[in-house]
Amino acid sequence: MQRRDISNEAGARADGLLMISVIFITAFTYIALTTSPVYTGIGVDDRAPELNGQVWDGAAWTDFSLYDNVDSMWVEGDGGTYYMIEFMDTNCSICVNAAKDKIPAQQAKWLTEGSSRSTPDNVSVEFLAVSISLWSEGDSGKTYGRDVIEKFRDDYNHQFPYMDDQDDSNKDDWGDFGTPTYFLVDPSGIIKYVNLDAAQGYSVWDAMEDIIPRGEQ
Amino acid sequence: MMEFDANTQLLIHWIPIVFGLILMSPLGKGLAMKMSSRWPSLETLRGRTIGGMLAVMFGGFTVSAHTLWIHNKANEMGSGNFCSSDGVWDCSSVIGNPEWNTMPFIGLPWGMVGMLAFALFMWLVISISKDPSASWVLTHIKLGTNFGVLGILMIFYLIYAEYEIGKLCQYCTTAHVSHVITTFGFFRLGSMYGTSDWGIGSVSTSSSEVDNSERKSRRGGYVAPVSSSEEE
Repeated sequence: MQRRDISNEAGARADGLLMISVIFITAFTYIALTTSPVYTGIGVDDRAPELNGQVWDGAAWTDFSLYDNVDSMWVEGDGGTYYMIEFMDTNCSICVNAAKDKIPAQQAKWLTEGSSRSTPDNVSVEFLAVSISLWSEGDSGKTYGRDVIEKFRDDYNHQFPYMDDQDDSNKDDWGDFGTPTYFLVDPSGIIKYVNLDAAQGYSVWDAMEDIIPRGEQ
Repeated sequence: MMEFDANTQLLIHWIPIVFGLILMSPLGKGLAMKMSSRWPSLETLRGRTIGGMLAVMFGGFTVSAHTLWIHNKANEMGSGNFCSSDGVWDCSSVIGNPEWNTMPFIGLPWGMVGMLAFALFMWLVISISKDPSASWVLTHIKLGTNFGVLGILMIFYLIYAEYEIGKLCQYCTTAHVSHVITTFGFFRLGSMYGTSDWGIGSVSTSSSEVDNSERKSRRGGYVAPVSSSEEE
């Protein structure tokens, strides 16, 4: 009688592959379920880095955390708050010009009840200025301090909070850039606009017009 | 729930690595004898080497998976206490460094590269352990050795990256140690293969296997079936 020449060699390799596949898939599933590797950075579609510090709202210095004010589960159509974040220096002449010439009009447009630019009822817009230090306190003509921030906000009649980041602690996380630098962050904490990446002439105000949904007129 | 800091979590990965290293060393003989009633193959040097390598590679795989997890968390959160930083040992600065934390050209995170490498090594060794007399065993050993040497070259690159960053990553170093031990294990299996250390049931021990092997070489690989009466 002919006996079949049966080989078990392939079985050993298939068994090994099966075991390794189970281990690999288990590990990978765990990682996929417990992490969300959206890159944190300062480019468009990156998750904005944390912005943490004390803000002056015109009456008192209070704690503020950007991450406490965003909802990572937010999707378009849900309600939420868009943040326009301006990194500025009270000694920077371009920031002063923007504070004087451009921001009051935009503030009236976006932060005033019943303004010309509507948003859905459950969508709101907030401005946040982050006051950093491009120079040192000792540099001639440059002054820093919380009283300087308070005065700056009052001088231009701004209605939005100013964060004290004159120790540049947040700026270190966000990156080394000049001022003013503008970001538009959506309610999930994703950056939708940054002037560093934007086309020439396309300002944060243009981006807000395009990105923030309109309400019923 | 009790939470461990990142360095304590790292110790968990070291447990199988140290166990495997002991098993592979002469010190592990006594330990292996105690476990041989459950795993008889540990009585042989081949069995101890394979068992030790599997433990070391499992530790390397889990620490690589943990590194990938940290990589993703660093991307997700930007910063955090999921990776300890203490002086020169600072895995956050290395795994979270966007310039160095992925493989050049391919862009895979190093943790994922480690997981794939250790998965491949484990498959090679598990297959050998299941059928140590198979015809492909030497191919598996050679593959493991060559990939091991290639991995060591990558480790030199990663050490250079740590030098450039100015920090050392304890998780990466654990994976590197595991990889070096694994490569040593493959070299050891290579030197053992075909000798008496390979143990019972090793290469071509029975006369029929010798005969098959000779017939294979004569007839270009094909071995015609033989009847049981012929064999006897």
